[in-house]
Amino acid sequence: VLELADYEGLREEQKRRRENNDPVQLGIGFSTYTEICGIAPSQVNAAVGLGGAGWEYANVRMLMSGKVEVATGTTPHGQGHETSWSQIAADALGVSPDDVVVLHGDTAVVPLGRDTYGSRSLAVGGVAVHLACEKIVDKAKKIAAHMLEAAEDDIEFEGGKFSVAGSPDQNVSIGDVAAAAFMGADLPEGMEPGLTENYVFDPPNFTFPFGAHICVTEVDTETGKVAVRDYFGVDDCGPVINPIIVDGQLHGGLAQGIASAIYEGAIYDEDGTLTTSSMVDYMIPGAPELPNYTLERTVTPSPTNPLGVKGVGEAGTIGSPQAVINSIIDALEPFGVKHIDMPASPMRVWKAIQNAQGQQAGEREADASLESRGADVQQGGDE
Amino acid sequence: MIPVAFDYEVAESVDNAIELLGQHGEDAKLIAGGHSLIPLMRLRLAAPTVLIDLDRLDDLRYVRDEGDHLAIGALTRHRDVHNNELINEHCGILSYTAGLLGDPSVQHRGTIGGTLAHGDPSGDMPSVISALEGELVIKGPDGERTVGALDFFKEFLLTDLEPEEVLTEVRVPKLGSNTGWSYKKFSRRSQDWAIVGVAAVVEKSNGGIDSARIGLTSMGSTPIRASATEEALSGASTDQVEEAANSADEGTSPASDDAASAEFRRHLARVWTRRAVEEALNR
Repeated sequence: VLELADYEGLREEQKRRRENNDPVQLGIGFSTYTEICGIAPSQVNAAVGLGGAGWEYANVRMLMSGKVEVATGTTPHGQGHETSWSQIAADALGVSPDDVVVLHGDTAVVPLGRDTYGSRSLAVGGVAVHLACEKIVDKAKKIAAHMLEAAEDDIEFEGGKFSVAGSPDQNVSIGDVAAAAFMGADLPEGMEPGLTENYVFDPPNFTFPFGAHICVTEVDTETGKVAVRDYFGVDDCGPVINPIIVDGQLHGGLAQGIASAIYEGAIYDEDGTLTTSSMVDYMIPGAPELPNYTLERTVTPSPTNPLGVKGVGEAGTIGSPQAVINSIIDALEPFGVKHIDMPASPMRVWKAIQNAQGQQAGEREADASLESRGADVQQGGDE
Repeated sequence: MIPVAFDYEVAESVDNAIELLGQHGEDAKLIAGGHSLIPLMRLRLAAPTVLIDLDRLDDLRYVRDEGDHLAIGALTRHRDVHNNELINEHCGILSYTAGLLGDPSVQHRGTIGGTLAHGDPSGDMPSVISALEGELVIKGPDGERTVGALDFFKEFLLTDLEPEEVLTEVRVPKLGSNTGWSYKKFSRRSQDWAIVGVAAVVEKSNGGIDSARIGLTSMGSTPIRASATEEALSGASTDQVEEAANSADEGTSPASDDAASAEFRRHLARVWTRRAVEEALNR
């Protein structure tokens, strides 16, 4: 993230502004975080008083048409599970994501399920989809071997096709297998018809996404107004299923964190009445107040699930407030400002500068009087 | 939230609007773009029993060159003020301010006459018109009269308009090549009302200042002129701007609220006045 932000260049610009007594000072703020995500292991949930049930459920069924239905216990409300779960199923089954329908949010459709929070949906629920698909492929392989009159061990599965090792022309598609499974007229002896599998995934541990952020602010030292000029982040949420969704989660989270740091606050008057009760008074920032985000990723898979995925729901919100506040404090370092409460409104920033300067002036006076007294003592000693 | 029930009349002409005001009495209210009045009604801070809609009076939407000044029809929308070539050429501060007040939907619906008649001291346009020393043309049952901007704004949300009068035209001077201007708005978010705003119109001469007119937004119950600063800037050199700006809050009575204490508003008025005059000198 230092490279991404051109850290040396930023420090040079900051130095110039300080030397020129520019009323608008530059701040560079850091934050690093390690999250605990994928709230899951049922035993851990029980140990911390949550009762347990940290698993997540998926049902995957291949229809006779070759289309796929995925029923998930997660409940998306804007996180795009329909898209990402389609991709997971499509990858595992070798079909197009367009042929996958994701069902959720209704106990009439999905009998079992836990929740969507704590960046757990992908790392627990998405993985359950993947594992249910693997069970589908295992069963389909047996049927394909039967259809191709080959040993199961000789069957290879790639790109949605089962073929006999060494004779790629001898193959059946997973859609063909699904149709055969549905018809049930010619299956291996003793096999249940249909191609539908459940998986209830209970991971052995949490996941630990991490990241490093740099926030660049311009602080008007005469008015206290803070503008976030740039925001840089390098986040590691493991392998990425859908880059646009991951970026979107980060953008939204960063906006929320920047909003907490500078704009949003609930204020009560002395009678206990909430005065920030409308969208006029509760300062939700819009696009004009927010910067462009420059984001990169590293990919460190989690060892606790077969996809290695870790979750990204809170990364932006967790990384940003302290990066913003650190940036403001950094900009005001020459003034001796060491602390500002959130949200750092113009009035708060201005007061912090006033107080720090008053304090510095007081300290200078105290130093001066100590020095002069010291000089007296010195003189006395000389005599 | 839902406003108190009200009746609705459409004015066919200015005279018809005056007639309707006479018929319905003091609880009737004129409406143009509605972007100040309707929010007040939704919050039930205003509860007119009759709304008289001026919005179909297209003949009150115009911009005319009248020699030494521009005449702007009261129903001219902010967006049209912002984009008008005559205003851009001769009164840049007006088109600039029309382009930053509120948000795009306010700019496309709201009118210059509406925002002035509303008389909100935290509106941007009232202090700009005060700094320009514009004139307002008012029509009532007894005919037409003209009021200077400084006499128009009386109290918080109260103007010189009588209950049966309609604001029909706004007149602003054409600014010469030696006139610099600036409107500086301090707000936390781009669409918010000004915590403090400063409109500066500066007559320049020989590298110095001949005179300056400074209007302040959100510094009292009406738009206010920073008269102590104006006096200090009369005939001043450019290096006297900072000292002159330090008296910008003299005679103001800013409110304290969540966004800013009165003390902070006074401070902002001084800083923003200095910056506005400096910008005006460079424009």
